[in-house]
Amino acid sequence: MNNIEIKNVSKKYDGFLLDKISFDVPSGAIVGLIGENGAGKTTTIKSILNIIKSDGTVKIFNKDVKQNEKEIKQDLGVVLDDSFLSTYLTPKYINSVMKDFYKNWDEEKYNDLLKQFGLPDNKLIKDFSSGMKMKLKIATAISHNPKLLILDEPTSGLDPVVRNEILDIFRKYIEEDETRSILLSSHITTDLEHISDYIIFIDKGKIVLNVPTDELLENYGIIKCSKEEFSKISEDDYISYKRSKYQYEVLTSDKSKIKKKYNIRAIDKPTIEEIMLFYIKGER
Amino acid sequence: MIKGLLKKDLYNLASYKTTLIVIVLFCGIAIIGTDALYWGSTVIGIIVGMISLSTFSYDEISKSNKYILTLPVTRKEIVLEKYILAIGATILGGLLGFIVTLLVGNVMNYLRPDDFIDVNIETLLSTSIGGMFGISLIQSIQIPSIFKWGAEKGRIQMFIVLFVLVIIGAIAGFLLKQAGLSVDIEKLESILNNFGLVALILLSCLMYFISYKISYKIYKNKEE
Repeated sequence: MNNIEIKNVSKKYDGFLLDKISFDVPSGAIVGLIGENGAGKTTTIKSILNIIKSDGTVKIFNKDVKQNEKEIKQDLGVVLDDSFLSTYLTPKYINSVMKDFYKNWDEEKYNDLLKQFGLPDNKLIKDFSSGMKMKLKIATAISHNPKLLILDEPTSGLDPVVRNEILDIFRKYIEEDETRSILLSSHITTDLEHISDYIIFIDKGKIVLNVPTDELLENYGIIKCSKEEFSKISEDDYISYKRSKYQYEVLTSDKSKIKKKYNIRAIDKPTIEEIMLFYIKGER
Repeated sequence: MIKGLLKKDLYNLASYKTTLIVIVLFCGIAIIGTDALYWGSTVIGIIVGMISLSTFSYDEISKSNKYILTLPVTRKEIVLEKYILAIGATILGGLLGFIVTLLVGNVMNYLRPDDFIDVNIETLLSTSIGGMFGISLIQSIQIPSIFKWGAEKGRIQMFIVLFVLVIIGAIAGFLLKQAGLSVDIEKLESILNNFGLVALILLSCLMYFISYKISYKIYKNKEE
């Protein structure tokens, strides 16, 4: 069962094309959307939320989002990096407003989260730090117990301690009910290594990679070799390579195969960031 | 859902309460001892009505439009809420203007019987409704422009639209004169005296309705 199914979603802007994006977000999974700034992550999220008009189909909870928008959004929690209800309100007012939007708004849960996050309920949001603002956005997004969380850059601009706290909240949210899912976009890929079940990599409006995170971290490898050694590796066995003065770095998606086939012993385990860089900057 | 949006805007406007009290007091004092008593109600009405439009600026500063579209609320409800707020502010402004002017006038007559101000309820009613009509005209033009161009740009666009309307009016008047057609002023005055207030209210309703339709058409396809 998938909580999100998107098929051939396209959106054209001046100088940018989101090109027939298709992927699923299974229930119980955390899916990380990665890519450079301007690669299409936010456009994808806006298309899913029907904030922008795009071509293709988006289904949430197996229902077309364009036809069942209001109903679907009752079970959806959203965090946007640069937008919230109002910065001129206090968390107390947010509670008062939100209970009129969501049938399942849990006032007690919201107040508990405020306490847990150490957020004052009578201070104007505009006077909050970035970390406090993000915690409030997250508390607001999960206080109606949504089935699906969609988060656009929820950890950007935050220090590692706050980022870790936030990732813990997401883990706990999924553990509470395994039919829930999270789709989160981030350019801080280390966060996703720790938390995501799937990684979707968007580059220049296209999906270049959609794999389980474990597979990515276990099977992918970086071979460091000389020019001579590199010339022996078949083009079919690597994704891309980077040349430096003294050595070649080669990214493969099947390091055990490479080990056996070319008798190479030293293959490094790459980070998601390194894999991303190979896709963007590497030669083929 | 509209209730939630209204609450959000009213909480945003809560910071205006001091300004509002100052305005009402200022107008109240200004009314005292002047012949322009009735203008008090018009000015109060227009200011209160205009304040409702500043909720668009709050939304723009907080960049909340995008977030609101992620909530379980339709675009139709988002547009409708702004009109409910605007009409509510217009009615409140009119009432407030009427009451404050009436109170100040009578209190001053009590305190200063030598310098008697004639507070004519009918005239006061006319000026209050006149103010309400003025603000409904401004709102009906400004709300669609804000939905189209945003709160800051919308304000400039509104003045351009008003300017164009005045020019069109002037040209139409000139052409009528050139064509030798004249408007029977007396007849017009008698119509206004008999049906003026009702006509103004009906015209305001019509303006709001047309304005709402235009705003919804704009916002339906708007991308945040």
